[in-house]
Amino acid sequence: MTSLYRKSLWVFHLNTGSCNGCDIEVLNAFTPAQDAERFGVKLVGSPRHADAIALTGPITREALPRVIRALQAVPEPKIVVAIGSCACGGGIWHDSYSVLGGVEKLYKILKKKGIKKPITVFVPGCPPKPEAILYGILLARGMVKQKQKSRIYIESESTELMISKDLIETVKEQVMSSKISRKQVEQIASIVR
Amino acid sequence: MNRLRILLQNIKRGVVTEKYPLEPIRVPESFRGKPVIDVDKCVGCGACVNACPPNALTLEEDLKEGIRYIKLFVGRCIYCGRCEEVCPFDAIHLTKEFELATTSKDDLYQIVGLRMYKCPICGKPYTTIRLVKRVIDKLPPEERSLVLICPDCREKITAANRSFARR
Repeated sequence: MTSLYRKSLWVFHLNTGSCNGCDIEVLNAFTPAQDAERFGVKLVGSPRHADAIALTGPITREALPRVIRALQAVPEPKIVVAIGSCACGGGIWHDSYSVLGGVEKLYKILKKKGIKKPITVFVPGCPPKPEAILYGILLARGMVKQKQKSRIYIESESTELMISKDLIETVKEQVMSSKISRKQVEQIASIVR
Repeated sequence: MNRLRILLQNIKRGVVTEKYPLEPIRVPESFRGKPVIDVDKCVGCGACVNACPPNALTLEEDLKEGIRYIKLFVGRCIYCGRCEEVCPFDAIHLTKEFELATTSKDDLYQIVGLRMYKCPICGKPYTTIRLVKRVIDKLPPEERSLVLICPDCREKITAANRSFARR
């Protein structure tokens, strides 16, 4: 990935039904305060001129044909920078009928049409800070290292409940024998209710 | 003359551009960044799963193995902080981390797997061992036995006892 994008990366901003939160942050990344252009990153007006697509929004059904057309227009090799929670995993709309919910589902549709899956960088955030977007684009260029990693913790098998055996015995006695006292019945009943 | 004044002002002000990737930036005090689950404190009660608006937190149970998984998918999180508010054991916190960009979706997951407690009557796992421990510690000793039976079995016992009491 690094060798492909050693030179300036031109970005086409593609809104696929976003709430404009991420779009404002994308524009912020190009203002003098963050100034993405010092890394050669530039916003262009046509996907035919672009190396990367800054994709925001959960990809609505209405936008889908245009998204596919825009992706096809970008010359190979291309990068998709999925900006925001909506583009990464569907965000708050993930189970809505009118959106695809993230770029992963878009790639399934592309695969059916025989289009190659582009390299993807996920930039989560709702919306992500302009610095976070800058970080994502620089990650695509190989200028910074990835910090986020998956964490998996599974409790050891030897974990057991340290309760006295008497307690278990009393439980079994209570259940098996019909000698449950009136008081205990009331106790159980009050908890169930 | 006017342009000269603007030029002088700008020279005085200096460079406004942040040197961000080369130097770290300061985030605001109240910034809400990536949520992290503290695996030592989490009991797997699922309060955060109920509260999460975009279902970034999900609860899955593997009944064969007897493990309850709490999965946090950061890629769907909207950083509202409700999980932090609702957690009874202070186990989930929003950090100030914002550099979350990854090249694969799998890196955005945090998975916590907790062993489940099996009901002594039917043998079905129904809650985590950690949660039973916490509840037992809070109850008076004469009521502790009630926690150790699963809700289904408890219901049956109650039904039996009610019919017994009616006679």
